[in-house]
Amino acid sequence: MDVDLTDEDYVIQRAKAALKSNPLSAKAWMITAKTLYPNNFGVQFEAYCIEKNAGHVKEAAKCFSDLIGKFQQQPELWKEIENVTLALRAESDTNDPEKQFLCEMFKHISPDVQHKLLLCTADHCEDTMEHCRLLLLLLQRFPTAISSYGSRLVDTLISAEKHSHDGNFPLNAYRKLLVCELLPLLATENAKVDLSSKLLQKLLYKAVEFYSCSLGLTPGVSPDPESKVEDPWQKLFAVIEFIGKQLEWEHYLVNFGSNWTKESYWQKIVTYCQARINNLDDKQLLFCSSIFFLHCLHEYSVSLTPESSPGQQQNTFVLVEAFVDSSLPNPATEPKSKKRKSDDYLYPYISVEKPELKNIHSNFLMVVNCWDLFQSSEHFQREFFMLNSFLKLESCFTNFLIDYAIYKGKYDDALVYLQKISDSNMLLNKYINIAGILYFKKNYKSCFEHILLAIPLLPSGIVGSLSSALSVGGNQRHLHYLPLTYTAILQYFVKLLLRCTKENMAKHNYSELAIGHILTLVQLDWPQEEEFVPPLMNQIQQHGSFNYILFQNYIINVDILEEITYLWTNQGGQITLDIIPHMGQRRIGTRGADKGAKEEIKQIIRRQVARSNENISELLIRFITHERELIFQSLM
Amino acid sequence: MSAASEVNLKQTLRKLEFPLCAKEALNKIGELICGRITSIKNMDLALDLMSEFIFCEVDRRGNKRSSPLSALLELQLLEILFEHFNGLTNEAARNTVFLSLFSGTTALQRAGILSKLVSLAIGIPSPAILTSASTWMQQLGCTSAHSCKLAQAIVHDYFHLVPSAADRMKILPDVAPQFTANFLTAVAENYFNSKKKDQPYPSESLLQTITQWISQNAHLCIAAQQKQAALPPGAIAMEATTAIAGLIRWCTLAPMYEQDSQLYSHLHLALLNSILEIPHTTPPKAICAQHLATSLRFILLYSNKTGKQSNLQLALDRFAQAVQVALSTKCVYGKIDDLIHQLQQLPFNKLMSIVINTHKECK
Repeated sequence: MDVDLTDEDYVIQRAKAALKSNPLSAKAWMITAKTLYPNNFGVQFEAYCIEKNAGHVKEAAKCFSDLIGKFQQQPELWKEIENVTLALRAESDTNDPEKQFLCEMFKHISPDVQHKLLLCTADHCEDTMEHCRLLLLLLQRFPTAISSYGSRLVDTLISAEKHSHDGNFPLNAYRKLLVCELLPLLATENAKVDLSSKLLQKLLYKAVEFYSCSLGLTPGVSPDPESKVEDPWQKLFAVIEFIGKQLEWEHYLVNFGSNWTKESYWQKIVTYCQARINNLDDKQLLFCSSIFFLHCLHEYSVSLTPESSPGQQQNTFVLVEAFVDSSLPNPATEPKSKKRKSDDYLYPYISVEKPELKNIHSNFLMVVNCWDLFQSSEHFQREFFMLNSFLKLESCFTNFLIDYAIYKGKYDDALVYLQKISDSNMLLNKYINIAGILYFKKNYKSCFEHILLAIPLLPSGIVGSLSSALSVGGNQRHLHYLPLTYTAILQYFVKLLLRCTKENMAKHNYSELAIGHILTLVQLDWPQEEEFVPPLMNQIQQHGSFNYILFQNYIINVDILEEITYLWTNQGGQITLDIIPHMGQRRIGTRGADKGAKEEIKQIIRRQVARSNENISELLIRFITHERELIFQSLM
Repeated sequence: MSAASEVNLKQTLRKLEFPLCAKEALNKIGELICGRITSIKNMDLALDLMSEFIFCEVDRRGNKRSSPLSALLELQLLEILFEHFNGLTNEAARNTVFLSLFSGTTALQRAGILSKLVSLAIGIPSPAILTSASTWMQQLGCTSAHSCKLAQAIVHDYFHLVPSAADRMKILPDVAPQFTANFLTAVAENYFNSKKKDQPYPSESLLQTITQWISQNAHLCIAAQQKQAALPPGAIAMEATTAIAGLIRWCTLAPMYEQDSQLYSHLHLALLNSILEIPHTTPPKAICAQHLATSLRFILLYSNKTGKQSNLQLALDRFAQAVQVALSTKCVYGKIDDLIHQLQQLPFNKLMSIVINTHKECK
């Protein structure tokens, strides 16, 4: 044995030496060492390390408690304290055995010492973020400390946010700590914390701003995955519950309990408004209905791009003005709307592609309700806009405002909003809506211009299928949630163009070009559009000839070819079919006398029939893009 | 009570058969000595009733009986005693009767019945009787010959006679912590002590039970000091002696007697932990310096016989550790300076010299 060993080292060395052969004896040595040198940090810390390395949770906790009581100035101890707090913060998601050990050890420290440890680490900490995190940890572990430190931490976080470099960015780390961690703590049942009503409102602002940003409602602020929050609405509602309670707001306006539904909450807002019909200028209605509006708006936007089932492509829907066929009866309406049958004409019929998408419709109507409420009082409207401009949320309304204007039939309003869209991701929507509106405003040429702008933007990767709901019976207006697929958009455009051409025909006596275009266009949604054909055939028959220079390029539908060929036969009236190129130059004398020409027409018809299986979508795209001049002609 | 009614009482009891008379006598004794005002006369009468009607030591004329109780009658008596004490909820009254029954000049005579009664109370178990037994040990002295004899009898019953019954002992600290503490003190005196020649070391199972008790409950050793016993009015409460010093002697001496069971290391550690847990009192009362010093004699004897050096050093290490921890927690009372002086007489051990120097510096 080393004779130069100091007494302290001797005792520690004996403890360490015994560790392997006889852990019990090692512990006895350690206890002896600790009582021999109670004020020697080296010995005490060594004792702690030995217990820690041996994995003795309880013993380590005891040593650690002693150390904290006596040696707060020792840097080595501080390092270990930091390790403990670090481990505590990562408690839920650590596989590091040392961290797990430290967390377990913390649990065996008496609450007094735990409290002391966290508080003095926080005070000791020079980094504000660290300080706040540690205080938060303290409050999480010791709810009783909330009343004494809660409001202090609120102040610290608010001022830290103000002074941090990304303070004007609502998703900064201080805000997250404040909104996601501290507010829920303050809201716990037994926490007693005194905050001024001004501060409470400020906190509510901050929470709304934070969650709306993290939901991606605020443009220009793209939430990074770090700041993604689970179930943000539930959390925001919890904040409102807490702050509403503090501000003594109506219980039913700030109660978002488990059986909360949008419909029932809307009823509560209505009740509240009816009770204060002449006095809608209070904050609670403003906040509650604004946040409710944002919630409904968000649900609406989310429902426009529903989750797709695995393996299927995700689809987005856009509200368009669709078509009615007055020859057919009204579509079966929901039993709910039966009640107000008398004012059915006020409300357009809104259709969706599939029954499971009906929630888009109901979500939309709820947002409309809220919006109408905001419009109902000038004061309220002003306050609402102030709130939203503060939160920089107006721009996220644009899409809804377009839908709202279309819904209300305010086409000019809709066009104003639509013209402002410059976001390249929204251009397709923009052109679809403008084209639709222009058709209904009977501005056929401009309608076509916008179709032409949209064609290059069609999502070629999302083929989709033809919609069967673009046209319904009855005579009320019809709106449809059009899926943004290649086929469905094209179908919508073709229907628009078809109707533009058809309606423009009335201006002229007889336009073979327009008839040819229509025959081309009806082919896409055949036989849905079949009813357009018989009147045209009548016109041709009366006129006695049909000249369409694009015939060979685009008319390939067997039914249509059959109809035309029939007109050409003796039974059909022997019309002149001017479909052979350069026919004019050949100067055919007698009608039908030129056997060669007759044979040629038969050949052409046969060739066209043979093409009937061609991809009709591609054919129509070609038609729209290559024949724009001729199409414009028919729209003159 | 007048002389006439005294006679009357005895006459009435004499009409009853044993053990019915014992049962009735117990009730009368309770009335006689647990009242608010008791007199010497009442006490004398109670003692008379005990020896005549309960233990049947004398006949109606006060003459000593030649043959004591038969085994069968003794069993009946035990049943009566058990029922009586177990049913008494008033602790002071129970302790009063218990103490008067089993102490004094007749204590030795009745020790057999007492140990059987306590054994029974452990087995069933009866916290009430064990509490009274604990008070009895404490009042007579936990390290007294009476207590040691009782402890020995219990060890005999539970560890030697029926080894499988040791399981019953495991829960004893939960049933009767004060009794367990006093039992430990007494049992500690029975081994590693020159008093007992026939069986110098505790059996493995006894050692194991004790180690387990103390490891699991660091406050067990001082349990009897934590709770004031309920005593007859006017009685002077005796402070319980803890088992710590006695058991430290076990651990210290074990290496020198070639008792190398790992359990001694374990027990030693459990004792150090127990000492650390002793609450501070002024004056200290947990460990007596002289009691602690009893090991010294054996160590010196051993070193003079030139025993194995490594065993001696292990013994000294353990002893030094125990002394250090005890002194540092300030739970030692008595002549500490004498103890230190005696420690200096021991063969050299580095830790012991550190402990001695540290103690001198601290003064």
